[in-house]
Amino acid sequence: MTTGTTRTTDATPAMDPLPVTDATRWWLPRAELDRLVALLRADGRTVVGPAFEDGVVVYREIGSAAELPAGVTDEQRPGRYRARVSTDDAHTFGFAASPTSWKRWTFPPSVELGVARREGDQLRFETPTREVPPVAFLGARACDLAAIAIQDRVLLGGPVADADYRARRSGTLTIGVDCATPSGTCFCTSMGTGPEVVTGHDLALTELDDGFVVRVGTTTGRDLVDRLALSSADASQVEAARAVPDRARAAITRQVDTNGLSERLIANPEHPRWAEVAERCLACTSCTMVCPTCFCTSVSQVSDLDATSATSTREWDSCFTLGFGAVAGGNFRTRRQDRYRQWLTHKFGTWVEQFGSMGCVGCGRCVTWCPVGIDIRDELAAIAGPPPAPAIGTSLPIAAAHPGEYVVATVGSVTPETPDTWTLSLHDVDAAIRAGQPGQFMMVALPGFSAAPISISRYRPDGIDLTIRAAGPATTALTRLRPGSQLGLRGPLGRGWPVELADDRDVLIVAGGLGLPPLRPLIERVLADRGRYRTVRLVIGARTPDDLVLRPDIERWQARTDLDIGVTVDRAGSDWTGPVGVVTQLFDRTAIDPVRTIAYVCGPERMMQAASRTLAGMGMLPDRIYVSMERHMECGVGLCGHCQMGRFFVCRDGPVFSRAELGDTFDLEGI
Amino acid sequence: MAGHASLPIVDVTPPLTAPPLSVGVVKLASCDGCQLALLGLGPLLLDLGTHFRIIEFGEASSDRSDGPYDLLLVEGSVSTDEQAHHLRSLRERSGLLVTIGACATSGGIQALRGWARDAVAPSVYPEPTWVDALPTVTPVADHVRVDAELRGCPIDGGQLVELLTALRVGRRPQLPDEAVCAACKRVGTVCVVVAHGEPCLGPLTRTGCGAICPAWGRGCYACFGPREDANVAGLAAGLAGRGLDDATLARRLSLFTAWSAPFRAAIDARGGPPGFPTTSADATHASGPRATDVPTPGA
Repeated sequence: MTTGTTRTTDATPAMDPLPVTDATRWWLPRAELDRLVALLRADGRTVVGPAFEDGVVVYREIGSAAELPAGVTDEQRPGRYRARVSTDDAHTFGFAASPTSWKRWTFPPSVELGVARREGDQLRFETPTREVPPVAFLGARACDLAAIAIQDRVLLGGPVADADYRARRSGTLTIGVDCATPSGTCFCTSMGTGPEVVTGHDLALTELDDGFVVRVGTTTGRDLVDRLALSSADASQVEAARAVPDRARAAITRQVDTNGLSERLIANPEHPRWAEVAERCLACTSCTMVCPTCFCTSVSQVSDLDATSATSTREWDSCFTLGFGAVAGGNFRTRRQDRYRQWLTHKFGTWVEQFGSMGCVGCGRCVTWCPVGIDIRDELAAIAGPPPAPAIGTSLPIAAAHPGEYVVATVGSVTPETPDTWTLSLHDVDAAIRAGQPGQFMMVALPGFSAAPISISRYRPDGIDLTIRAAGPATTALTRLRPGSQLGLRGPLGRGWPVELADDRDVLIVAGGLGLPPLRPLIERVLADRGRYRTVRLVIGARTPDDLVLRPDIERWQARTDLDIGVTVDRAGSDWTGPVGVVTQLFDRTAIDPVRTIAYVCGPERMMQAASRTLAGMGMLPDRIYVSMERHMECGVGLCGHCQMGRFFVCRDGPVFSRAELGDTFDLEGI
Repeated sequence: MAGHASLPIVDVTPPLTAPPLSVGVVKLASCDGCQLALLGLGPLLLDLGTHFRIIEFGEASSDRSDGPYDLLLVEGSVSTDEQAHHLRSLRERSGLLVTIGACATSGGIQALRGWARDAVAPSVYPEPTWVDALPTVTPVADHVRVDAELRGCPIDGGQLVELLTALRVGRRPQLPDEAVCAACKRVGTVCVVVAHGEPCLGPLTRTGCGAICPAWGRGCYACFGPREDANVAGLAAGLAGRGLDDATLARRLSLFTAWSAPFRAAIDARGGPPGFPTTSADATHASGPRATDVPTPGA
């Protein structure tokens, strides 16, 4: 007997590598459905399918076809689900979407990412080997197969693939079922995902009264048909099967107008309906958790009592929690309406530019399982008004992330910058990290602490510098490291400053507070090859003289004659002889040539907004103004969802963006 | 999960390591259940003993100590003036003070007394005038600075271990503050509101219990208290849409964490705990009880 699990060895099996086009229809008598289950199990697969438990159809491991929910039908509407066993209808798949989705197996709610160990002075970061038993999904609807395809694009299709998801998907076999019984919350026909299984299946079944008409989608599915020795379906069976999805299609009456929907939705960030729906919304996270495509996660640390090892675990999270967009010292989405807008505009708007389709398959789970019955079909209709839709930004940038795994580096020296900020000079740094670009950042880890995103503040031949403000426990612990201490590094990550665009131009570099360290590699790159550029201007601001960081460098730059430099502070005592005021006051209107200049701006968001406005007012084009955004970052590679800002993952698509790319989102509250 | 950081704990850096931390466990007005949860850690409690010196734990040992304590775990709420005084003295003898349980963090079930003391006391005590208690029962944080709090009735042993290990490492404990709903979904518990029409306070309530009640088909009754963004009005409107009246919500809220600010406001707005006798002093409850299907306490 062959195993039929050839896909388990394939590294990139987003879909079966060997899809087949086969018009043959086979016949599986109802009584023989269990032979299929038994065959899958004999091949060593865990069979997951629907079962009727406590009045609800859930997906769980199935031992035999007898456990399937024969005769169960359901009724769903916003905020309400009821299922019952019908006496006059013994269909196995006579219900609509389950509160469970298949992502529970492909993208489980909790995954161990690794263990960080401390042995004396040595650190070790261990990644688990991912051995996942192959799973067969029995009874996946077309909408659910579309959801799996979407998660494939998100988690496998980007510049960085998720290792755990890849391992799980490589062992997945899918047996789809044409939907015959949509519920009141279904709208797959609007999203173009159902009710008929068209793609993403190894086998597809259409349920009739006495059995199933079977279609083959892949060589794996054909192998199953061969081994079951199925006979061909007869003409009447084929005809009856064809009518099933047609009836389902007709039963779905509520539609979503997807024509231009993304643009129409994004064009209405200030619509009053956002605040109205936020009064009803409990921000309970249910919609995102039951959604088969939502993929946001957070990592937590569990330390042992010895404090010698810590296990990192990734769990499902949600953009609806208050802390999801929080960073040390602030939160970008404090209002519930900000978070509702983030979710809906991501699903139906920015997802398109990120991943090539909307993030919704019309399964209706978020509508049914909202405890207060908020219906996104109503919200979309109310908020996404008619065109016109202004284009925001330009094309999505090319991501340049190199995730790797944590590598260990050693602290060479620790230099105080301000009372709460230090610069760590690291030695024994991996060559790939030293080859990073100005403006890129590292995820920096200590056992037991959340990893912190830190911009590289200097590239040296033998290492890098990180300038870190003690803003929370993790960064505090980092700033307390001593020479010889080890730490974990992952990166360099993100897209840095586009230095190459400055060739033969005037260069304006604007730094506010801790915005200077991420700019220093850029400044040093420019000064190292000074002849390539025309005028170079450097404007540095800080709250007070004591808050100025990298002072030895500032003094060195002030001593140069091939560089204009101005340093200003918001407040100062009598010992400060320089200018007092905001950085924009140092923009010399007569000296800055708006056509010839390229500007690189880094600092607090309000300062970057003000600087961009002033420069735009002087005639600079938005694609010549670059800023570096701060957001909550966890994975660093665009997979955990925390750092989203409109259509961007700041960690992967940024942190450096042109003002043109950011478009209107730059000045929007709660984005 | 995302809300890990919202705990009001001071940053404990550098880590509290050797010599072993001295730990005290004390109680005010409470049932001792949270102390039992600590004892219920079993073998892990023995491991704790190698890293922490438990010098005061009346529920476990007759060896007592007045401190000072590096870490003091306080169970119970403040019901008498004597307790308030004792608590202030404990604070002075403690490095970190962490409240454990619904009583210490929200007032507990006994805080319901704040709505109807004068009316209830005679039904419990033959000589109510002999009772020397404060007019309201209040959480510890109303009296002294609290560095961190563990919610729940009782607390979750795992959260206590997380607190202690976090102190050892020198980081903030990761105590989730989002809704119970997130925990239900992660463990695979089907929503009891949507599937069965059960009133459930999960959307208002901080997770951390492991979503126990919904797993047994019951609605959450908020023993962990309000979450980071508790939309009480939103839930009330949602329940009303299911034919559940305001009194149902007020009754469910009138339990272990009723005295927490958002829940207390919601209960007050609905005329106080349903079925409670009102007292003349309670001007806010002038509208009287809204429901008659709850037995009067002590009746």
